[in-house]
Amino acid sequence: MSLGQPPRSEEQAVHRRLMRFGEAESLATPMWEEHGTSVRAIAGHLASLWDTPTGFDDGGDSLVTEKGLPHGRASVLNLIVTVVDEAAAERVVHTLVGLGVRHPSRAIVLVPHHRSVGEPIDARISAHCNEVAGGGDRVCYEEVVLTVRGEAAEHLSGIVAPLLIHDLPTHIWWPGEPPWGDPVFEQLVEMGDRVIVDSADFSALLGGLRRTANLRRRSGVGDLSWERLAWWQELTAQFFDAPRFRRYLPNLSRLHVRYAVPPPASDRHDEDEDVAPGTPAPMAQALLYAGWIATRLGWRRHRTLEKLADGRFRVRLEGRHEMIDLLIEPTTTDAVRPGELLSVRLRSLGETGAAEFIVDRDGEDAMVATNADGMTALLRRVAMESPREPELLSSQLTMDVADPVYEDALRAAAILLASARVAAA
Amino acid sequence: MAVSARDPERQARSAQDDRQSRPNPLREGLRLERMAEPCTMVILGATGDLSERKLAPALYNCLLGGFLPPEFTVVGFARRDLSDKAFRDHLLEGINKFSRNRPAKPAIWESFASGMEYHRGDFDDPGAYVELARRLERIDRDRGTAGNRLFYLAVPPSLYPEIVNQLDRAGLAAPGDRRRSGSKRGWTRVIVEKPFGSDLESARTLNRELAEVFDERQVYRIDHYLGKETVQNLAVFRFGNGLFEPIWNRRYIDSVQITVAETVGVEGRGEFYDATGALRDIVQGHALQLMAMFAMDPPVEFHAEDLRDEKLKVLRAVKPMSPADVASNTVRGQYVSGWVEGEKLTSYRDAAEVEPDSQTETFVALKLGIDSWRWAGVPFYLRSGKALPSRVTEIAVTFKQAPLALFARAGVPQIDANVLAIRVQPDEGILLRFGAKVPGQGLQIRTVNMDFRYGSSFAVDSPDAYETLLLDAMVGDASLFTRDDEVERAWEILDPILDAWEAGEGGPLHFYGAGTWGPPAADELLERDHRAWRRP
Repeated sequence: MSLGQPPRSEEQAVHRRLMRFGEAESLATPMWEEHGTSVRAIAGHLASLWDTPTGFDDGGDSLVTEKGLPHGRASVLNLIVTVVDEAAAERVVHTLVGLGVRHPSRAIVLVPHHRSVGEPIDARISAHCNEVAGGGDRVCYEEVVLTVRGEAAEHLSGIVAPLLIHDLPTHIWWPGEPPWGDPVFEQLVEMGDRVIVDSADFSALLGGLRRTANLRRRSGVGDLSWERLAWWQELTAQFFDAPRFRRYLPNLSRLHVRYAVPPPASDRHDEDEDVAPGTPAPMAQALLYAGWIATRLGWRRHRTLEKLADGRFRVRLEGRHEMIDLLIEPTTTDAVRPGELLSVRLRSLGETGAAEFIVDRDGEDAMVATNADGMTALLRRVAMESPREPELLSSQLTMDVADPVYEDALRAAAILLASARVAAA
Repeated sequence: MAVSARDPERQARSAQDDRQSRPNPLREGLRLERMAEPCTMVILGATGDLSERKLAPALYNCLLGGFLPPEFTVVGFARRDLSDKAFRDHLLEGINKFSRNRPAKPAIWESFASGMEYHRGDFDDPGAYVELARRLERIDRDRGTAGNRLFYLAVPPSLYPEIVNQLDRAGLAAPGDRRRSGSKRGWTRVIVEKPFGSDLESARTLNRELAEVFDERQVYRIDHYLGKETVQNLAVFRFGNGLFEPIWNRRYIDSVQITVAETVGVEGRGEFYDATGALRDIVQGHALQLMAMFAMDPPVEFHAEDLRDEKLKVLRAVKPMSPADVASNTVRGQYVSGWVEGEKLTSYRDAAEVEPDSQTETFVALKLGIDSWRWAGVPFYLRSGKALPSRVTEIAVTFKQAPLALFARAGVPQIDANVLAIRVQPDEGILLRFGAKVPGQGLQIRTVNMDFRYGSSFAVDSPDAYETLLLDAMVGDASLFTRDDEVERAWEILDPILDAWEAGEGGPLHFYGAGTWGPPAADELLERDHRAWRRP
C-alpha cells in the first residue's frame, strides 16, 4: 500500500491547507462540517444545498436559496481529487479555486489516512458561485472534502460513488505521482470515466509513461504535461498548414527540442515555490512533443546516436523518405517552469534546398520563424504564456473522450526514452 | 489527369501538387481545427468606423486564438492620405478601445502590424486598383499569401457597384484560375455588409451588380446576428438532440413568437433610420433569418448550400400578404416620449435628423404563416421595436395544451401550455415552462420554469460574431452568410407590407410610449387569436 500514511501532525497540516478553500472570493454557502459523519448524512446535505427558496420572481418562481445562491444551477461533471500530503493539498486548493470559475461541477477531495485511528469520516461541504465576467450569470460549484481514516480509507470508491451527481462524466485527478498498482487507486480508476495525471510528476519517467499507456485500457487518460504542449503543437502545425510548406514535411531530417531544467537549488528564486508542484521528470514534455511528431509523421526508431546522459540524448529515426536526427537536450534556466519547452527546430531537405522551421520561446512571447523556399525568414512574434495548473486541468476537463493522438504520442515517448537508454550503436 | 511517363518534369510537379493538397497530418486531433488559409484581406473603406470598432478587434482576437496563419496580411484601401503607420495606429486604437482582449500586447501587435499596409486611392480611380493589383501580387510573392484574397466592402452599399466594377476591370475579382495576370492560384471572396437593398427591386439590382462580376459562391453577405453563438446553437439544439425534432411541427406546436426588442431609441442614426424603419432594419434580416433557422427541415448535411436551401424553403413557404392581410396581420407603431430603463426618452419625431411628421415605424408586429406540411396552421408572431422595456431577442414556442383536462374534477383548471423559450440575447439560454404538483395532500398545480443559461454552464468567453464570420469567410464556409435568393425572397415577403403601408391600406401608424411593449394594437393582434405576447 503506497497511499500516504501520515502521522497526526501531517494530517493536521493537510487539514490546515485545505481550510484555504474558504479564501475563494465567491458567493459561498456557510461551510457545513461534521466530524464522524456518514455518507448518507453527507448526501442529504448535498441534496439540500440548493433548496429552501425564500424569494420569488414575479412569476412566482423562487430566485435564490436562503444562502443567497441561485435556485437552479447547471452541472457538467464530477471531479474526484485525492490528496495524500500537504504539498498536494496546497496544489489542489489553488487549482480548484481557479477551476470553479470555469466548470460548474462537484469536486470531491479525498484525504485518506488509512493508518490513523478515530472516526472514519469527517466531511466539509461548501458551495461557491462566481460571477461570470460581463454577465449576470453565476457559475457554481460544490466542494466536498472527506477525511477518511482507518479501514474506510481502503474503500474510497464506495464512499465516493453515492456522492456523485448522477450520469455526469467523472474525472479522477491525482496530483503527484499516482500509486500505480495500489488497490485504492485502481478502484477509483475503474469508477471514473477519465484519469488525469501529470507525467512531469513521475519519479520514474519510463515506468510512469508505460503504466499510463496501460491505464488507457480501462479508462480515458489525460495528462497535464500534454496539455502544456497544446500551443507548441498549434504553432508547429501552422507551419505546414500553408500548402507550399507542407511538401517539406515528408523530408524532415532533424528535430531539435530544448527544455528547461532548474538551476541548482541555491540559485533559485521561484516566487511560487510553495505552490508550484515539483517537477521530478522535466523531460516529459519534450518527449511527448517528439512522440507526437514521430507518430503523426510515421517515424520509427532506428538507432541510438548518443545515450541519455544529464537529460540529453540523440537518436536516429527512420522516416518515410529521410532518416531523422532527434536531439533532446536540457537548458538550465529559472525563467520558466522546469520541463517547459524552450525551443523547437525542425529542419527539412526540400527539392529547392534546406528549410528550417523554428519556435523559440522568449519570455511570455515566442519568435516563430520559417526559412524556406529561398525566402528570407518569415518572422513573427506570438504570445507564449505558460498556462497555470487550473487552466490546464480546465482544458482537460472539457474532454470526455479518449484522445488517440495523445495515446500514440505517449507510447512513442516511452519507446524514445527506452531507446535513449540503450548504449549508442 | 494521367501524367505522361515521358514528361518527368510534369510528373515531379504533379507529385509535388499531390503532397501539397494532402491534409496536414499534424493538424489531426488538435484543438484548433479551423485555421484561416494564408490570404490577404483588403478592407475597402479601411479608415471608417467599422474597421476600428469591429474588424480590427476581431482580427486581433483571431490572431491571439491562433486562427490566423503567419502569412496573413491586411491591406487598407481608402481615400484619406495615410501612412502605413497611421493606418496601423488607427486599427490599434480600435483594438485598445473595443477588443474583448485589450489593450493589445505591444510585441505581439508590432509583429502582427508588420503585415498591414495602407493603399491610398479613390474608389472610382481605375489607377488605384491597378496599383492595388500590383501590390497584391507583390504580397503573394513576399509573404506567401498564395493568391488568396478577401475583399471586405466596409463602405455604404451605394458604393458597391463602382467598387466591384473597378475590381473586375483591374482583374482582381476573378479567382486564381481565371486571373489574367499574377498568381494563377488561390481564391477571391468578397464580403458585403447589410442592408442588402431597401426593397425587392433594389436588392435585385444589387445582387445583379454583384453577379456581373462575382460568382455567387464568392459573395459573403454578412449579418452579424447570424454569427452569434446562440443562433448557431439553434441548429445544434434542434438537430443534435433527439428530443426536440419529433415535436417540432404543427401537431405539437401551437404558435411561435419571435421578439427582437431594443431599449434604445435611434441614437444619432436618425437619418438612416427614418429612411429605413423597423421592418427593413430588423425583420428583413434578423427576424426572418431566425424564423427560417427555427423552422427549417434538417439539412442533408451541415454545409452552407444545404443549410441555405432549407432556409430558403421556409421563406418560400411564407405567403406574401394582400393589402387586406396587411391591415389585419400587421401592426406598426412609433414611440412617443416615455421612460426606458429609468431614463427619459424623447419622442421619435423629436430625434435629430428625423422628419417632424415622420411615418416611419419604430415598432412592428406581424403574424405570418408558413404553408408547409410541417407548419401549416401554426402562426408565427414576429415583433421588433425600439424604446421597448428590455433588450431581448428570443424565440418562444408555445406547445399545444394537453388534450384532456384530467385534473379538472379535482378542481384544477387546465394547466398552462408548455413554453420553450430560446433566448438569443442577452443571457443566452433555454427555458422550459411546465406544470408541477405543489407538495401536499391536495392537488394543486403550479407552473415552474426550468432555466438553462449558457453563462452558467460554459464559463468561457464567446467569440464576437465578427470573429466567427471573418474566420468563416477565410475558410470558405458560407453557412452563416445570406445567399442572394434568400435576400430576395425576404423582400418578396415584406414588399407587399411596405407597399400597403405606403398606400395607406395597411392600417394606421399607432403610437406607443417609450418603455412599453408597443401599441395596444399589437396585443389585440394576438388577443384575436386568444393568445398573448410573452413578457420576456
